[in-house]
Amino acid sequence: MARLLAVLATMLFAAGAAAAPDRPRVVAVNYALAYIAERLLGDAAEVVYPVPDGTDPSFWRPSIADISAIQSADLILLNGAGFATWTAKVSLPRSKLVDTSRGLADRLIATETVTHSHGDGGEHSHEGTASYTWLDPEIALRQAQAVANALKARGLEDEGRVDDRLALLAADLAALDAAADEALGALSTTVFVATHPRYQYLARAYGLTILSLEWEAGAAPTGDELAELRQLVAERGAEVLIWEAEPPEGARAAIAELGLQDAVFPPLAVEPPAADFVAAFAAGIEAIAAAASRAESG
Amino acid sequence: MVKVADLGFSYPGGDFRLRVPALTLDDGERLAIVGPSGSGKTTLLNLIAGIFRPNTGRIDIAGTDVAALPDAARRRFRASTIGFVFQDFALLDYLTARQNILYPYRIAPGLRLDAAARARAEALAEASGIADKLDRHPEALSQGEQQRVAICRALVTEPKLVLSDEATGNLDPESKTRILDLLFARAEEAGASVLAVTHDHELLPKFDRVLDFAEFRQGRPA
Amino acid sequence: MNALYLAFAYLRYHWARSLVMVLVVGLILFVPLATQILLSTSERTLTARADATPLILGAKGSQLDLTMAALYFSEERPEPLPMAEAEAVWDSGLGTPIPVHTAFSSGGFRIVGTTLDYFDFRDLTISDGRGLAVLGEAVIGANVARALERGVGDALVSAPENLFDLDGVYPLEMPIVGVLAPTNTADDDAVFVDIKTAWVIQGIGHGHEDVVTASEVAAGLDVTANAAIVEYQRITPDNIDSFHFHGAENEFPATAVIVVPYDTRSGTILRGRYLDPEGRTQLVEPAGVVGGLVDRIFRIKTLLDVVTAVIAVAALAAVGLAVFLSYRLRAGEIATAVKIGARRGMVLRLLASETVTLLLLSGLIALAGAALVARNAEAWVGWLLALGT
Repeated sequence: MARLLAVLATMLFAAGAAAAPDRPRVVAVNYALAYIAERLLGDAAEVVYPVPDGTDPSFWRPSIADISAIQSADLILLNGAGFATWTAKVSLPRSKLVDTSRGLADRLIATETVTHSHGDGGEHSHEGTASYTWLDPEIALRQAQAVANALKARGLEDEGRVDDRLALLAADLAALDAAADEALGALSTTVFVATHPRYQYLARAYGLTILSLEWEAGAAPTGDELAELRQLVAERGAEVLIWEAEPPEGARAAIAELGLQDAVFPPLAVEPPAADFVAAFAAGIEAIAAAASRAESG
Repeated sequence: MVKVADLGFSYPGGDFRLRVPALTLDDGERLAIVGPSGSGKTTLLNLIAGIFRPNTGRIDIAGTDVAALPDAARRRFRASTIGFVFQDFALLDYLTARQNILYPYRIAPGLRLDAAARARAEALAEASGIADKLDRHPEALSQGEQQRVAICRALVTEPKLVLSDEATGNLDPESKTRILDLLFARAEEAGASVLAVTHDHELLPKFDRVLDFAEFRQGRPA
Repeated sequence: MNALYLAFAYLRYHWARSLVMVLVVGLILFVPLATQILLSTSERTLTARADATPLILGAKGSQLDLTMAALYFSEERPEPLPMAEAEAVWDSGLGTPIPVHTAFSSGGFRIVGTTLDYFDFRDLTISDGRGLAVLGEAVIGANVARALERGVGDALVSAPENLFDLDGVYPLEMPIVGVLAPTNTADDDAVFVDIKTAWVIQGIGHGHEDVVTASEVAAGLDVTANAAIVEYQRITPDNIDSFHFHGAENEFPATAVIVVPYDTRSGTILRGRYLDPEGRTQLVEPAGVVGGLVDRIFRIKTLLDVVTAVIAVAALAAVGLAVFLSYRLRAGEIATAVKIGARRGMVLRLLASETVTLLLLSGLIALAGAALVARNAEAWVGWLLALGT
């Protein structure tokens, strides 16, 4: 009898061990959410950011296989605020979805209205929403809280551990916020220009003025694009250009010729090279603060 | 073959009475009974066949006192010893000629439908000229053919006695003769006596003996 | 044996009369059997599905309409309720809401817009193809596939409806990406789409191009075989990016929301929340609603039983008379048989054989019919339920 029990126990243990690699899977639609989920989960679950390298997660269109993999996840973290339009055109299990900006409607920033018409239906308008919510550390914290609640509600990780990790993350974000206040708080007179409209929440949080362009990502600016920038310098007094990523050779020189300072601030929708969310955010703050001070001292 | 003595019969509750002091029929003899309607000719046939039981007297058939037999035995005796030919042929519309001929085997106790019986049916039909019509139903046969089937049915059980009740009554004169000849021929082959009730005086010469039933007629009791 | 032989000969010769008698008696036996089978199957089917569906949230109105629409995708159109109600259930943390949108149809089958949670909830499995992935796709029930002879790779077009009186809303062509394994429930007769696809059909979401035009239809690209549809829209990889929804999702309509409480206590709390007589929504328990319906069906069945009994008595009397008359007609045969030497018992046996043979044949017919009904009861009941609602 005892031997039988021992055999059974061994079998159960083996089965348990075999099942162990089946960790829960959490899918996040951008790097910011993936980072938050990883911070909160530790090793309790596998966090997947499904968008391939070099693809803008806002405009990614998943294949059927991608969709199937996402559907089978245990939790799917959406950013909301109009980020990742593909999520509206794909069937996802509602019970697995968490819209991390739900409840933050009053904090979202509306972008300009697009009006168009189709067929015989007459004109109608679409109001856009700025999507890069996590560039305001306070909103990032609210999103982290939403993720934490979802993890706890679905039992993907022990509640106590999630709370502990959330407290650590909150401290990091608070430190980031304090550092940004310190570095950017006095720059309300500096006029920034971003190569893409990504920094609305950062600008609002710290009272910055950030104009934006729509440059081809990762490419050297064309003559037209430079002309547009020159106009902003002339009309709006733009002083600092913010790159999303390290620009191609020569692009910096072209900017300098226009009398602009420049800096790289990764918008963190995709994983920045060689740094995590908090570190890259901090570095970005420092970089634009430094560029602004160079522009001041001219 | 048949010996009737001191036979007395009356229907229960009726005032008709039949009295037959004596009547005999020899083996192979063909006896015609004539007499006015209602004189009790058919009643006599039914008494001889054992369908009715006499109040008094004896009916010996082939040495058996039919009147003394119990019901079941009487029926068995009737089925095996007596063949019946009826005025209206009494064929069954839902059976073919062959099935009609073999009908006694289907209903009578003590008769076994075996190969010999079937062979007899075929032979009788052949001799009666209806061999090619055995698979027809009665409605597809002429009246003469129907009566031939009825004669075959009466003889298929190899009876010792054939009772014929106006068997030719419904036929045209030519057919009457032919049918009677046929009945006599088949009966003779089978070695059976024939007791026939008939109205057809022109046929009487064909019989061995004619019995005028008026002799036995008993009116109301005095 | 002889009695049977003669009985058969008699019945065969009088085949027309025998057939009528056999059919009449067969019908008398069959009707109550069949109604019994169909009713108990309906009860089982109705009850099983209702029992498997804990709660339904819908707009105030007929509870039966709501239940039939949410459970059996009937043609009732209960007042829709906004998706915000489903979100409210999420926010309560008391249960899983599964919206269903059943306002449209295709090829005579309901288009059921829902979320993927529905498939898990009903334990539906794909027998061919895959599940829903992209806006505009359809997964069809087993009966739909069989009836329309469509499968993976084919397409369906929603029936044009002017329900919401929206200009410029064209029927939607939906590629079939999967066929469900049969379940013998209303799910077999449904065309499942993502609820967002249902909103596209409704005109809440739309693209900015690519309506299939009359000329293309004329060129043989028509997949609807419906001459009434001359133009319809189609979601393709090329135009999917232009599809968008107008307004806030919270205001988009659902026919009903199936609510699966996490536990009994949650169910009780939830029910309490929707008791407000002033509220615009109601939370109903399908088991109770269907229980009432089943009770009503069975009350009608009792009436039906009485009618059947009366008819049966009348018909049996007619059959009895026919048998009696046939005995009378055969008095001559009986007399002959007796003269030839048959027992009285033999004659009775002959007649009894006929009667018993008739009844036996009738019984066999009734049983064969009943077996047929029993074997197809679930399918027919499904059809009846879909038809009668």
